[in-house]
Amino acid sequence: MRRQTRAKPTVLIVGNPNVGKSVLFHKLTGRYVTVSNYPGTTVEIARGLMRYRGHEFVIIDSPGMYSLSPITDEERVARRILLRDRPDLVLHVIDAKNLARTLPLTAQLMETGAPVVVVLNMMDELERAGLSIQIDALAQQLGAPVLPTVCLSGQGVDTVKELIYERLAAPHADLPARD
Amino acid sequence: MSVSPPPTPTYPPAIEHAVAHISDLLRGDYALSPRTIALLLLQDDPEIWDEVEAQESAGTLERIRTLKTELEKAGETPLAWQIEHQRQLWSQQIAAQVTQATRPARPHTLADWIGWLCMNPWTGFPILVLVLYFGLYQFVGVFGAGTVVGLIEENLFGEYINPFVENLVRSIVPWQAIQELLVGEYGVWTLGMTYAIALILPIVTFFFLVFALLEDTGYLPRLAMLIDRAFKALGLNGRAVIPMVLGFGCDTMATVVTRVLETRRERIITTLLLTLTIPCSAQLGVVLALLSAYPLGLAIWAGVIALVFLVSGWLAAQVLPGRTTPFYMEIPPMRLPSLSNVLLKTLARLQWYFLEVLPLFLIASMLIWVGQLTGLFDLALRALTPLTQLLSLPAQTSVAFLFGFFRRDYGAAGLYDLHEKGLLTGNDMLITAVVLTLFVPCVAQFLITIKERGWKIALAMFVIAMTVAFGVGFLLSQALGALEVQVG
Repeated sequence: MRRQTRAKPTVLIVGNPNVGKSVLFHKLTGRYVTVSNYPGTTVEIARGLMRYRGHEFVIIDSPGMYSLSPITDEERVARRILLRDRPDLVLHVIDAKNLARTLPLTAQLMETGAPVVVVLNMMDELERAGLSIQIDALAQQLGAPVLPTVCLSGQGVDTVKELIYERLAAPHADLPARD
Repeated sequence: MSVSPPPTPTYPPAIEHAVAHISDLLRGDYALSPRTIALLLLQDDPEIWDEVEAQESAGTLERIRTLKTELEKAGETPLAWQIEHQRQLWSQQIAAQVTQATRPARPHTLADWIGWLCMNPWTGFPILVLVLYFGLYQFVGVFGAGTVVGLIEENLFGEYINPFVENLVRSIVPWQAIQELLVGEYGVWTLGMTYAIALILPIVTFFFLVFALLEDTGYLPRLAMLIDRAFKALGLNGRAVIPMVLGFGCDTMATVVTRVLETRRERIITTLLLTLTIPCSAQLGVVLALLSAYPLGLAIWAGVIALVFLVSGWLAAQVLPGRTTPFYMEIPPMRLPSLSNVLLKTLARLQWYFLEVLPLFLIASMLIWVGQLTGLFDLALRALTPLTQLLSLPAQTSVAFLFGFFRRDYGAAGLYDLHEKGLLTGNDMLITAVVLTLFVPCVAQFLITIKERGWKIALAMFVIAMTVAFGVGFLLSQALGALEVQVG
C-alpha cells in the first residue's frame, strides 16, 4: 500500500497531554525538528528525523488526546494524523501513575489495527508514589510491547530506539501487513 | 487466579453483534480497522460518518443506520456510554492485575508541600505576586528589557550596525522613497528588523526562559488550578492561564497560543482580554517609565486595568453563546527543572516566534512607510485629536498613541518629552498610561488576531479596544477631576 512508496518508516507518538510526549520526541530526534501547522487547522504538530544504526525514521509528535472520539481540535488533529499518515508504528506514551485511566486509549489504538507499542513513562514518579507495575504481565495482557521509561532523564529511551529499529528497519523486520 | 481479559475490550453482546455485522458490510478503504470504524459509527462520529458516506453504497449506509437505530432503541443508555463503560472496566481490571503497592506512599515530601502552597489561595496568591515580581518584573523587565536591550539596541545597533546599513543603503539606492522604506525613521531595517532583533528578541528570550522554568517545575498547572475558579466567572477555565501569562511577555505570541484552548468561545474571550487588558512587556516598560515617579498613579493604573479585565471578561462571557468547558488537568509533582529541557523549550519557542512574528514587524514598517507616503498618517492623527481633547490631553499625545501602535518605545519617548516640557501633569500621565494599555498592544498583535480569529472578529476587537481605551480614559479623567485627585 502506501508504505512501498514511502522511503522512511513513520512513527507516531500519541498520548494524553503532559505525559512526556514532546520530551520523548526531542530525545528521539535530537535537533532535526520542523514544527508546522497541520493543514486546515491551527494546531501544531512536530515532525523530526531519528537516525539510528544508519537508518532514518520519521517521528511525529501529535497533540494530546484522551480518546479516539475527539472533543478538542487537538484530538481531532491527532486522530487525523493516524488516519491520513498511516504510521508504521504508534508509540502510546502513558503516565505510569495513571495506567487505569489511560488504558482505554490504548484499547482504542489497538482496535484500529495499528501496531501499538506502550511507552510506560514517568516510572520514577510511580516509584515515588509507592507503586510498581509488572511490565511483563502488562505486555502479555495487552499483547503489545511495553517499555518502561523516564524520558526526562533519558532512561529507557535507547530501548525505544532499539525497538523502533527492530520493528521497522532490522534486516529480519517483517512489517505487519495492514489492510 | 482471575481470568485474563482479552487484549482489547469485549463490548455487550448486542453491540458486538452490530459491530461484526457493520464490519462485514464495509467495502471502502479506511486507515482504521473495520471494527474501529463500526464502533465510531455507533458513537455518531461525524468525521467517520462523512468518510463512510463517501465510500459506501446507499444500501449499506441504510443497513448500518437500521442496525444502529435498533441498537439504540434496545439499550437504556447511549451507545457511546456503554462502549466507554466497558473500556473503563477492562482497563481497571488490567491495571489492578499488574499494579502493586511497594510501600505506603510518602504523603508529604518538601515538593508536595511547595506544590500545595502554590495551589492554596491564601499562600498561592502571595507566591504568584512573588513570581510575577522577581520572574517578570526584575528578570524580564528590569534586566532583560532594560539592561540587555540597552546594550544591544543602543550600543550594538544604534552605534555600529544601523549607521553602517544606513550609509550603505543611501550610497547604493538613489531614490529617496526607497531609502526611506529601507532605512528611514520607520524603515524595514531601522524599524522592523531593529525592533524585532534588538528589542523584542532579548525580551522574549528572557521571558521564554522564565516561562519554560515555570513550566518545567510544575508551577504552571498549579497556577491554572489556583486561578480556575476566578476564570470561571469570565467564561474561561484554568487552561487560559497559559496564554494570559504569556501575554505579559508578548501579546502577539499569546494570541497564537490561544490555540491551546478548547472552544472558539474561549479563544475569542481570551484574545479580547489579551488585546484589551494584559500589558505585554513593551507596554509594561512604557507604563513604568511614565508612572515610576507616581506610586499612587501606578496603583490606580493597576486597579483600573484589573477592573476592566474583570468587567470585560464577565460581559464577554454573558454576550457570547456557549458554556464554560470543564477543566481537568493532570497536576504533575513539583520537581527541579532540567536545564537541557528548559533550554530546548526556549529555543524551540524562539524559533517559532521568529517564523511567526518577525514577518509581521516587517509588514508593519511597510505599512508605516505607505502611511507616511500617502498622508494617511496625517489623516489618522487628525482623527485622533478630538479624542485626546476629550481626555483634556495635549494634542501632541495623539502622535504618541498612533506611533505607539507601531512601536511602543517611540510612543513612550514622545510622552516623556512632553512631560519634561511640563505639558503633561501626573494625572495626564496616568490617563495616558491607562489608554495606552487598553489600546491594541501593537500592529503585530492586530495582524495575528486577523490571522487567528479572522477579519470580522479582529476588526470588532479593534473597535472595542479603541472605544474602551478612550471611554475608560474619559471616565478616569472625569473621576479624577470630580474627586480632586492629584497623583503627582
